[in-house]
Amino acid sequence: MELLRRTFTANGLLDETGNAGLVAVSRLTPGTNILAYCVGLGWSLHRWPGALAALVASSLPASLIICALTAAIVRIDRYPAVRVILAVAVLAATLLVFSSAASLLRPYLRRPALMRASIVAIMSVAMLAADVTPVRILLLAAALGAAISGSARPSDPQ
Amino acid sequence: MSPIVVYVLLLKAIATSFAGMGSLPQIQQDFVETRHALSVEQINQAVLVGRSTPGPIGAYVVSVGYLAAGWSGAIAAWLAMMTPALAAIPLVVLMQRWVHLPRVRAAVDAVVIASAILLLSSGIRMAADAWQQVAAGF
Repeated sequence: MELLRRTFTANGLLDETGNAGLVAVSRLTPGTNILAYCVGLGWSLHRWPGALAALVASSLPASLIICALTAAIVRIDRYPAVRVILAVAVLAATLLVFSSAASLLRPYLRRPALMRASIVAIMSVAMLAADVTPVRILLLAAALGAAISGSARPSDPQ
Repeated sequence: MSPIVVYVLLLKAIATSFAGMGSLPQIQQDFVETRHALSVEQINQAVLVGRSTPGPIGAYVVSVGYLAAGWSGAIAAWLAMMTPALAAIPLVVLMQRWVHLPRVRAAVDAVVIASAILLLSSGIRMAADAWQQVAAGF
């Protein structure tokens, strides 16, 4: 995202205010933030053609590489040594999962928002323990968040 | 597994998450626990592949689609990954009108927090499964 901002501001196609708006939109859009940022950027420059071109350009190359890598892994996965190596690599990859969760939580760990965040987090853990499905947990969290709103909120998540 | 089912399941998971990896809990639920289309190990491999390649972190869903239904599944997953991003267009317009409302922001914040909790739980499950495989290998 930072690379995109630098490139497009250097070319005079985007200013800091426009970038801030796109970042906010990308945080509020479900799914992968960078894709939403690219769609918003493409839309602001060339409407639908720009949005679609940006979306394909930001997702297709990685998707093709991923398909090729997955096909390769499926072929070599039957060898025990490969399975152990892959399992070790997965252990390392879990760090990414934990760091994604930490980056989502970080903006809410400041004092004004901490109490409300704790209530939502405790409710989410309780529902997880009760085997409630993820979609229902998210919907109930949204309802709870709206119900207990009114206290101070953190700045936009990073 | 039909590519249409892959598309619908992945779209549900992606459209209810607010980060690249945020779709993981729902994908585990649908593909592993409910439909038994993939094993935990295969989901872990998909995450590993996604992490090993440049591009969006959430693109690991393409690997999930490939493992579930081959090339047609991969295409369905790619489309499912792109679909929610198009919501950015109306959001650009709506944001200026609604986002300042405290209840709307509080609801979005709560969803982000719940997503993080779900993600932590998925990470723990991934690590436990990978650890079992490493231990079995030695």
